[in-house]
This record gives sequence, C-alpha cells and structure tokens, in this order.
Amino acid sequence: MEKFVVNIIHRPEMVPEYAEKVTGHGKEEDIGRDALLTESLDIFRLQQDCAHKYGLKTTIQMTYASLFNEEAISIAKEHHEKYGDEIALSLLGLPCKEFREKYKTKDFCIWMFSMEDKKSIVDDVFGKFYDIFGFYPESTGSYYMDAELVNYIKEKYPSVKCAVATCWEEGPKAYHTCNNSWYTFMDGGPWNPWIPSKQNIHAPAANEAEDSGIVAIPHLSRDLLACYDGNGSNFGTHPQNVLRGMIYDTKTWEYPYLYNLIDQYRSLEKYNNGYAYNMMFVGPGWLNKMGRWEAPFELLKKSYDDGMAYYGKLKEEGRLEDMTMAEFADYFRSKKTYTEPECALWRDILYGSDKQLFWYCDPYMRACINMDQGGALVDLRPYAAKLKWEVGIGTPHIQDASYPFLIQEKYRAGYFTHYAGEGTVRSAKLSYHGEEVDLCLCRTKAKFSEEMIADGKKTRILTLEPVTIEFYDLTVKLQTKIYFEEGSSEIRMERTVLEMSNPEAKVELNEYMVACYGTTEYTEDMSEITLTCKGKNEDKTIAYAYKCREEEEAGASSVEAVIPPVDTKVSMRMSDEKAVGYIKEGYAFSPMFTLGYKTTLMDKEVVSTWLKLEKAN
Amino acid sequence: MAQAGKGKLNYRCPSCFMRDLDIDMFYDKEKKEYYCIRCQYTGTEEDVLAKNEMVRFRYRDMYKRFTNFD
Repeated sequence: MEKFVVNIIHRPEMVPEYAEKVTGHGKEEDIGRDALLTESLDIFRLQQDCAHKYGLKTTIQMTYASLFNEEAISIAKEHHEKYGDEIALSLLGLPCKEFREKYKTKDFCIWMFSMEDKKSIVDDVFGKFYDIFGFYPESTGSYYMDAELVNYIKEKYPSVKCAVATCWEEGPKAYHTCNNSWYTFMDGGPWNPWIPSKQNIHAPAANEAEDSGIVAIPHLSRDLLACYDGNGSNFGTHPQNVLRGMIYDTKTWEYPYLYNLIDQYRSLEKYNNGYAYNMMFVGPGWLNKMGRWEAPFELLKKSYDDGMAYYGKLKEEGRLEDMTMAEFADYFRSKKTYTEPECALWRDILYGSDKQLFWYCDPYMRACINMDQGGALVDLRPYAAKLKWEVGIGTPHIQDASYPFLIQEKYRAGYFTHYAGEGTVRSAKLSYHGEEVDLCLCRTKAKFSEEMIADGKKTRILTLEPVTIEFYDLTVKLQTKIYFEEGSSEIRMERTVLEMSNPEAKVELNEYMVACYGTTEYTEDMSEITLTCKGKNEDKTIAYAYKCREEEEAGASSVEAVIPPVDTKVSMRMSDEKAVGYIKEGYAFSPMFTLGYKTTLMDKEVVSTWLKLEKAN
Repeated sequence: MAQAGKGKLNYRCPSCFMRDLDIDMFYDKEKKEYYCIRCQYTGTEEDVLAKNEMVRFRYRDMYKRFTNFD
C-alpha cells in the first residue's frame, strides 16, 4: 500500500545560524541582543503558523538556548496541546550566553566535542528539558550524531527513539561551497530513514544485536543526483536551499523544482514496498527578515508557505501522512526488517540530461549505479565493516564523520582521468582484435524489478537496456543485469550477449574494479593494503608498495583486497571457472588497486561476476 | 576611501557561484560597484542580476513540472 510520510521539524533557535554573522555585519558580536531574540521567536512562530495553517503537525525541537526562554517554552506547550505537535530536543542551537559562559567555547556542533563534553552537554540539555517539561524527549538530533553519542543518549535516556542523524552527502562539496569554512564532513550515509548500528551511525544495523535502539532520519530529503555532483545545500526539501541554488523564476517567484523533488521522493514507494518519505527542517536563519543573499524576506516567506501548502494539499487529497518524529519511529519499526534495503532509481529533474542513478543501501553497503556510464558502480561504501570511527576532539577524526568509500567517481576520477592512471569505478571492458571499449561509454537506462527468495527476502534487480558496442568489423549487442540479493553483502553483475554480427566471433570480457579508500578527494596511504589472487593450487599476493605490480591466475576462485585502515575486505568471483583472475597494484601517480577477471564471450553467452564486501578482521 | 559594506541585499559573486562557491560580495560606495573578495569579479547591481540569470543556464528543466519519474 502506498504511504508517503512527512516529518516537519521546527526549532526555536535563539541565535539562528547566519543571523548574527550575516545580519549583524558591522556590529560587535552580541548573541544576547534583544532584537535577535525577538526576531528568532517571530520566525519560529511564522514557521509553526505555516504548518498549522495547512493542517500539518510538527516536531518542535527545543534548543538549549530556547530552554531559557519562557515564551518559546509556552509556545511549545500550547502547540503540543492544540495541534498534537511533539515537543522534542535538538542538540543544534547550543549557542547562547548561558552555554558560552558554562563551556567556555564557541564550538556548537555536538559531534565535534570531546566525548567527555558530549556527555556533559547531553546531561545538561536533557536535564534542563526534564526540569521544564517533566518528561524526557522521544526525539532528538543534530546535523550529525555519531554512534558513541547516540549509544550514550540511548543508555541514559531510553525514551529517545528517533534522531536527525546525518545530512546526505554533506562533505567536501559543502566545505568547498562555503569557501572552505563549513566543517560538516558527513558523506556516505543513507538518504532516507534507517535503523543505525551501534558501531557506526551511517551503517544500518544488520540485526537486533547491532541495533542502536533509535530510528535515524536524514536532515532534509536531498536530490540524489544534484547533491551527488554539486553543492548539497542547493537541492533539498528546504525551500530556501532551492532559492540558494537560484532554482526559481526571478519574475514570477515560482520554483517547480521544489515540487518535482517532493514528487520524485513520493515516487520512490515503487522501490520500497509502498513506502516513501520526506522531511523538511528549515532552521530559522533561513527566514531572516533581512533576507538571505539575493532573496528578500518576502520570497523566503513565500517559499516556506508554498512548501507547506503543497504538503497540506497532498494531505487533503489523502496522499500524505504527516507524523511527528516519535510517531514515525514507531511506524518505521513496525514495517521494517533489518535486511530490507532502501532503493531509489533516481532521474535528473533539473539539468535536462535524462541521467539515471540507482542508489542502494542496506546493512552491508551503500552503492550507486550510474546508467549514464553503462551501469558502472560509481560509489561504494563498505558498511559490512561497521567501521568504528569516533569523531570529535580527542579522536583521530575531529571533524571528518564521513563513512569511507572504496569507489567514489567524483573524488577519485571514475572512468576519466587526465594523462595517466585510473580512477575508481567498477565496470567492464570488451576487447576484440586490438580494440577495447569500456561499458562506461555506453549510455543506457534501467528498469527495476524484484524477485522473492527465501524467508520473505527479495533480490532487487536492475535491468539495463541493451547497448551496442561497435568494433571495426564486429558489432556486439550486450545486456547488463545487476542483482542485489537481500542480506548477501554482494552485487552480481550479469552480462548477456544478445547478438553478434559474426556469431563465430569471440570477444574478451574484462570485469574490473578500480578502488582505493578515503573520505575526501585526497589520497590516503595505501601501504597497508594486501591484494590476493586465490588460485586452485596457490595464492599470489601483493603487499601494496606503489610498485605497479600485477599477478594473475587462470581459474582463480577469487581476487581480493584487504584494506586495514577501513577494516574491509572486498573480493570478486566469476561464474566462469576458467576465467583468469588478476590483481594490480597502483603507483604513486595512480594510488589505486585493481581486482578483475578476464574471460571470452561468444554469441548468446552469459557470465556473472560478484563483488562481495566483508569486515576484514 | 572608506571601508566597504554590504548592499541592501546580500549579493553573492556570480562568477564564484558558477564554480559552486557561495561568496558574499561587498559594496564600494565610491565606485558604486559590488566586488568579490576572492576572485576578480566587479559589477553594478544590474550586472549582478544579469549574471545571476546567466548562471541558471545549467538548469534546463528549471521551469518544467514533471509527472513521471521513470
């Protein structure tokens, strides 16, 4: 049954992000200014009124600062009674005079504090919330919530069942957009709600033992194509972000893109057993009376009102169900199994390219398949490793909360590289009489389907439209199908030769994966990596030393890489038992490794290759 | 020359925006122009608005309302 759920969240932030920095330009800093506090409450009221006007309930995430403000508290209580809004607690909005006097810092991102400070702040904020409202909240959140923080909160305050826990693909791209001054590095997580594991917030729990006890929701529902390539903060269900991207008509103040984005999210129910999700969480700084960049207040206000009006219209038509965060957590747990993946076959709705990406997320991986590159795997996060990755002061990753990739075509080149070397991608090459064609250059489209397997589990299948590969004196029509078997931690790519202009011809198929590891554009030390080609009689191994070495073995049972810095083992195997497995080390100008298999294909033949992810140790 | 300030709206540099950078511009009252403190762009308000229209070239479907997402 089709169900589109929306979470609308507001926070009374007494010192809205941007407000002091932007509208206070030319004044000495004073975060206790009366004008600032009055404006903040006005914005909160405006946001609440917009939602209620269209019959929508909200989750009010009280900030630490707002817990010192009688008026904010009174509005929250009144709206809880009158509209059924949930009173929750945000770990955003910490800055205020009281916080700065107590903690002697201007830090404000909860995940960046030391663990000791995180605990102290959480106890402080939750304690104050309890003193005021007489209960502990069921929902909390920030832009990012690390696993250690969530584990502490859940242990100490078990009532918490839902949290805003990451911002999809907000990482180096957002940092660059802000002139390298916005330190939210949290790439690599799910785009839609998930049950996070105790080990790493990005990685969904595979079973009850791994379950952190909360349901995590993303901050905003983001465009799965535009945000992957560009600045995330322009392309989400955040009307003022759409204005920030200048995606509106300056004469009419219309923005069809916002509605297209909401509607494409609604359409994702096709891939997720009838369920679709959206969240809107606009911080008050985006409704500043001074305007925001080139958008005047009137446009900011109109866009927020229009966004709510659209959700309200969908609700009236029976096509949307608004829930508070706590209600959503209960609903989500009632319908979700641990191994059920989140899938999205996403199309371009902005640039006019017709490009299609398929995103897949389960407890073992997050993967992106690019149909514009012949179904190549262009982004891969090995959740199977359930990587322990503490963040904050006193840890090895003070700001970098991203889940590492093995493949990331934007940060590590993908198919196209300059001059020399290779970029990260999982694709295949066909060769014939000295010519070679990579499927990355065969643009195509995909359709989604499912097949039942045992115990109610399913295999999700992407069937790509056949592509034609033209050699000088041979034409090959090839079809790719990609299988994601639930709970398997594997991706199977199947190639079928549908037609050959010369039915007697043999073409070479090279199934390959070029990979590395990292969280940013910059290379990491590859020296700890070990590559192995598992042969029938012996294994051939390369301990990575940037020496450009290669090994191969006919009939190899698997080719593998163990990557200790990310606790990951990645391997490939092929259905053709005679195929030649190979491993390739990189070199300093191309710090990658390659795993692959070579075999020959004839007309009507079918061959499958599996990529598997495991925890290394 | 007196220090620069912000204009009535807080324009970003259109040249930097095209390379995915949000950089606030400042206003030079004497020259009556906005200028970017990171790159070499300068322009009047009229020029900024015109360039802001130009940066939308990549949004070919900006005005289109989709009904099918397959």
